[in-house]
Amino acid sequence: MAVAIAAARVWRPNRGLSQAALLLLRRPGARGLARSHPRRQQQQFSSLDDKPQFPGASAEFIDKLEFIQPNVISGIPIYRVMDRQGQIINPSEDPHLPKEKVLKLYKSMTLLNTMDRILYESQRQGRISFYMTNYGEEGTHVGSAAALDNTDLVFGQYREAGVLMYRDYPLELFMAQCYGNISDLGKGRQMPVHYGCKERHFVTISSPLATQIPQAVGAAYAAKRANANRVVICYFGEGAASEGDAHAGFNFAATLECPIIFFCRNNGYAISTPTSEQYRGDGIAARGPGYGIMSIRVDGNDVFAVYNATKEARRRAVAENQPFLIEAMTYRIGHHSTSDDSSAYRSVDEVNYWDKQDHPISRLRHYLLSQGWWDEEQEKAWRKQSRKKVMEAFEQAERKPKPNPNLLFSDVYQEMPAQLRKQQESLARHLQTYGEHYPLDHFDK
Amino acid sequence: MAVVAAAAGWLLRLRAAGAEGHWRRLPGAGLARGFLHPAATVEDAAQRRQVAHFTFQPDPEPREYGKDRVFNTPLCEQGIVGFGIGIAVTGATAIAEIQFADYIFPAFDQIVNEAAKYRYRSGDLFNCGSLTIRSPWGCVGHGALYHSQSPEAFFAHCPGIKVVIPRSPFQAKGLLLSCIEDKNPCIFFEPKILYRAAAEEVPIEPYNIPLSQAEVIQEGSDVTLVAWGTQVHVIREVASMAKEKLGVSCEVIDLRTIIPWDVDTICKSVIKTGRLLISHEAPLTGGFASEISSTVQEECFLNLEAPISRVCGYDTPFPHIFEPFYIPDKWKCYDALRKMINY
Repeated sequence: MAVAIAAARVWRPNRGLSQAALLLLRRPGARGLARSHPRRQQQQFSSLDDKPQFPGASAEFIDKLEFIQPNVISGIPIYRVMDRQGQIINPSEDPHLPKEKVLKLYKSMTLLNTMDRILYESQRQGRISFYMTNYGEEGTHVGSAAALDNTDLVFGQYREAGVLMYRDYPLELFMAQCYGNISDLGKGRQMPVHYGCKERHFVTISSPLATQIPQAVGAAYAAKRANANRVVICYFGEGAASEGDAHAGFNFAATLECPIIFFCRNNGYAISTPTSEQYRGDGIAARGPGYGIMSIRVDGNDVFAVYNATKEARRRAVAENQPFLIEAMTYRIGHHSTSDDSSAYRSVDEVNYWDKQDHPISRLRHYLLSQGWWDEEQEKAWRKQSRKKVMEAFEQAERKPKPNPNLLFSDVYQEMPAQLRKQQESLARHLQTYGEHYPLDHFDK
Repeated sequence: MAVVAAAAGWLLRLRAAGAEGHWRRLPGAGLARGFLHPAATVEDAAQRRQVAHFTFQPDPEPREYGKDRVFNTPLCEQGIVGFGIGIAVTGATAIAEIQFADYIFPAFDQIVNEAAKYRYRSGDLFNCGSLTIRSPWGCVGHGALYHSQSPEAFFAHCPGIKVVIPRSPFQAKGLLLSCIEDKNPCIFFEPKILYRAAAEEVPIEPYNIPLSQAEVIQEGSDVTLVAWGTQVHVIREVASMAKEKLGVSCEVIDLRTIIPWDVDTICKSVIKTGRLLISHEAPLTGGFASEISSTVQEECFLNLEAPISRVCGYDTPFPHIFEPFYIPDKWKCYDALRKMINY
């Protein structure tokens, strides 16, 4: 109740558009059929009594000068289902997922973790050029992925490999992209971890931050028009949420009524920039109501909380054609990337706390153990098996050649322009004379 | 005003020059007084609110395409283009409008880093080929810094997109339809001064004009003149002046597509004439004339009788009151041509 009062002081209960803040604190209920846009229902003003007539806001007058105080001390509460020991807190919130599904969640997270360890090492050994791990955030990936349909379109940033893992993207293809070898569907054009998969509806990652956000909104709009019964989910970090593209995406999604889930992984750092230097407000969830977007904050290390929130957001986004914002609080246990050494800006103790005391994998494992669905033996066997799978894929990926250098030139346009073909021929001629100075042996002939 | 007179004279020239179709003078045509509104942003009369009693008249029903197909967005160019890219990624056709080319820069990241690279970086798993961006472009007589720009050169440096500029209504329809159907993201710049100043008979049924094909709109033997958009009409006039005053025969080429551009047509012409003059409103340094000039001297060096001439805007922002002095008008082009002939 205290929270409700605080919220009421912070956001005045408005009629009309900004009901989001109040609705936050009630159980999300079905809003029924797709609502028509409030603007179209603007009332006729039948009398000229002293009401505001401004087209820009639906509000009452006030004669007391009072600034709204942003509340960052007791911000939007964090929804969770399990405690840090993996015990369900409120049984009515338990999604009661079947054993196979929970095991799939667990195995996806652990397989990802194993792959991360091996590929991080491979970068350190000079086998691949670059890598980004997902340590600590595996829960945000699989919890959300499990709540979606397989055909829901995913736009990611770069730390969402668990979504692909959950969708059974083969290890061979993860590795192929990192190695840029002949099996890479991306044809060796991008740095490692820039995965993409048309079959699994995972749009190819690009490095510029937040650019995917307005794109995801456009895709959601197209899905709405096509009556596809499809949601689009868009992942981004709390740092990317500072970009102009994030603001653009939120505003467009709300005004154009798009069935999209905005999923923010708030992991505490944008490389070395902590959240205290990234924003001054109450995180990302608090921005949602500003745009008229239904918003929630969840414990990102609690797979069931992530699952429940995403499931409900999906259901309503499609049914009501409106965006949802989920801010998943988590922690980036690893470095930003292999180009980062985070001991330069945070304490080892802090990292250890999250690794040991509040990790999505451990919490789910505790749940599995308490259900009697897992034990130490299976854990040992699975660790061995998953490591073996990863190592096999890794060794194979190492051995494969790189794609033919002609693939440097294709796909710039759908058809190759005449001038580009000339450049391609010029490289071919150059290699005939100077080929010995180029690593042609590693490339497909 | 000299500028209005120039436009009027130029319009009559358009008639004389025998542009395709039948030209007619619009009543009151010429430069618009006050602000030029591109047609797409003119407010529908039915939507205007009456202040006193705040009656809101909803859109007339039914519109041909409906508000879910033709609609306003929040005021955010990076959002407009990003949104359009997202639509195109699903395979649907998106036509995004940027109100003035001068305001395309917030969308530069989405265009250059995203749209242009979508197919390449994904190994052709994904693309946004069904995106077309259209935007009013070029000088309009009073547009100044932020309603006159010709930013094609910024985009010319970006493999993966196409940039197309029509010179007339007939060209506009054919080229725009080609851009929309093209399987690559396209930017279609529309010379805004021609919205009201040009009239032409345009077929009602759809037709395509191919992209990346320059058009030789007048054959000649002594000098090749190349331009695009509004400037094509200027160099056409210069060709007449050259014939009249100097007895010089000019070959006039409309480039039409800036990238990928039709190198072969231009080079073929220069091999024939030995002289090349390129003209555009955009500033000289780094303008697209420099790309054409550089390529032509590589391909046609021994055929050149004179250095390639570029008649362009000055290296300044586009000024307001000084526009008549800034633009590469027919006198500057004529003078450059004369120097080339006498080289």
